Amino acid sequence: MTTKLEKYFNAKSFCVVGASTTPNKPGNVVAYNFVNYFPGKTYLVNPKGGKLFDTKLYKSVLEIEDQIDAACIIVPAKYAPQTLEQCGQKGVKNVIITTGGFSEAGEEGLELQKQMLNIMKQYQINVIGPNCLGLYSPALGYDTMFLPASKLKRPSAGPVSIFTQSGAFGAAFIDQLSRLGSGKWVSKFVSYGNASDINESDALEYVGGDPDTKMVLIYLEDFKDGRRFMEKAREISLKKPIMGIKANRTVTGAKAGASHTAALSSDDVIVDDLLDDAGIIRVITWDQLEDCVLAFGTQPLPLGDRVAIVTDGGGAGVMASDMVSDCNLKLAQFSADVQIKLDQTFPSFYATGNPVDITGSATAEDYRIALEAAYNDPQVDSVVNICIPVIPDLDIQEYIAITKEIAHRKEKPFVTSLVGGEEADFATSELLEEDIPVFSSPGRAVRALGMLTDYTKYLKKRGIDPHTIMVEE
Amino acid sequence: MNEIKTIIQKVRLANRTALLEHEAKIVLKEMGINVPPSILAHDAEEAVKAADSFGYPIVMKLMSQDVLHKTDAKAVIVDLKTSDDIRHTFQDFMHRFENVKIEGVLVEKMVDKGIELIIGTNTDDDFGPVILFGIGGVLVEAIKDVVFRMCPTTKEQSLEAINEIKAKVLLEGFRGLPTVDKDALADLIVQLSKLAWEYKDDILEMDINPVIANSSGLYPVDARIILK
Repeated sequence: MTTKLEKYFNAKSFCVVGASTTPNKPGNVVAYNFVNYFPGKTYLVNPKGGKLFDTKLYKSVLEIEDQIDAACIIVPAKYAPQTLEQCGQKGVKNVIITTGGFSEAGEEGLELQKQMLNIMKQYQINVIGPNCLGLYSPALGYDTMFLPASKLKRPSAGPVSIFTQSGAFGAAFIDQLSRLGSGKWVSKFVSYGNASDINESDALEYVGGDPDTKMVLIYLEDFKDGRRFMEKAREISLKKPIMGIKANRTVTGAKAGASHTAALSSDDVIVDDLLDDAGIIRVITWDQLEDCVLAFGTQPLPLGDRVAIVTDGGGAGVMASDMVSDCNLKLAQFSADVQIKLDQTFPSFYATGNPVDITGSATAEDYRIALEAAYNDPQVDSVVNICIPVIPDLDIQEYIAITKEIAHRKEKPFVTSLVGGEEADFATSELLEEDIPVFSSPGRAVRALGMLTDYTKYLKKRGIDPHTIMVEE
Repeated sequence: MNEIKTIIQKVRLANRTALLEHEAKIVLKEMGINVPPSILAHDAEEAVKAADSFGYPIVMKLMSQDVLHKTDAKAVIVDLKTSDDIRHTFQDFMHRFENVKIEGVLVEKMVDKGIELIIGTNTDDDFGPVILFGIGGVLVEAIKDVVFRMCPTTKEQSLEAINEIKAKVLLEGFRGLPTVDKDALADLIVQLSKLAWEYKDDILEMDINPVIANSSGLYPVDARIILK
């Protein structure tokens, strides 16, 4: 069965209704995006006629002779119903309405949305929105995000598909991803706004079946089709990781009921348990989403929960160890030969257990020995590389080279945390440029491992070998 | 299954939304859930005869639509050991509750002490019927050690839910407490979720609290079913 969103992304012809000749206006930006990047045929509609970006402006959709597979309507809310009606008459079956001012904007808007729903039903039109950014796929040259590229930077093609209820969240996160590492992250982006038709469950169904989507990131505030969402998620999470935020955690408590069960049924308690049962990794804060992308988008899954920590600072090592237990991970016990090597190589004032603390006397060579030993130990499932670069004998360039060399092997998860000022920032950006995950605190680095390991545990529980799931390129 | 529909119909005709305990237990029995032996007695001698046949100790509970919070109204008397106790309790009920509409008195074999669990269902706006499992008893709402799943739940999901409660160790032979048969418990969760799912047009919420797990098995001791 073809999912609704496939019909949008597979469109061979696309029409921008409300193409504006005023630079940086939404209708101008979307027209520009399609004229310049969309490989299929692009049609522009503006009642005044004329030309835009060397492309003819049709006065109405009905003037266009060819078939139109999908369209984006960018006109003021009060004109949206009649514009949608024309799309219906033209036989356009897939429409994105980015304009706001509908059900989210009081009585009048609600009335407009109702009118549109009737037209949708009458002509059997699929609708994304209203009040949304619509769709973005760099690989497909598909971009209805109406904010100019000078303001909203676009990430390039990569493994992550994102769908969001909030357009503002989506815009900000897309912009963030554009400057995260190589910026090569996004497969499909779906902002569905008021979800008058296409909702979170349609989006999940589509990205679940999309071979270019290796991981799914979500931002939800409520469910339009919660049961279907959970049922789909249970299937999809066995093939690719799904993670994200379900916000709006505190608004509604349990409703008074006659039973204990009703009294215990606070919305978020139920949502939290059902997300967990469906295999969705739930995060709470915005920063965790970027960590998700870095961890799942660049690292292989661990085979188990045993973590090794290498650090030049005692405090950082202790905090990382605390987070290891907070995230239900374990500190690895090194194999006998690895332990002997560490004991024999390092001076007696280095701590050679786990965490391996190579102290303020550490050199880049010490890092190489400790990281290699931990990384190669079969009793270690993932490695945390912590560096506070202020120490005198550490050559930061050499440290960066060693970290890069190990990180690129990708045999097991390898996360780095650089803490400090200018030199830490320098090393962080050098590493991130090659999509090597670096985190601003040891706790964040371990937490990222915790998320990867949670997914491994989930897959194992369902009888799936985590190595069959490949996210990172 | 017809018995369940009949009871629902009867409750609706009486303009009630809450099933009385004896009605709820018939519904559970129809779903294949084992409940302690009981009968609804209408006079003292009927009560004594039943108690003698079940064996002591016995619990007696007043069945009345006017007394839904039975414990608060002292309409549940436990640990009755003789036929005189039964007679006396029956008369006492009739005396104290002479102004309420009485359906009868539930005479039930008393279940040995054990771990008190809860299994319940509710109708969620987003997800439809959901089932809850957790540590039950009178403190259930204070302890809040519960896990939810969507109905109908599979046996695997139910086993996972059982292992997800914080006080899981309590089920595993903790300090002399009985070891809970998780397999049978999962079956019970599946059965109740099936009931909630199949009757989702009628049933709003349910509680089996407590389900007592003792050394001889699992016993739904109190049951509440609320219709939409």
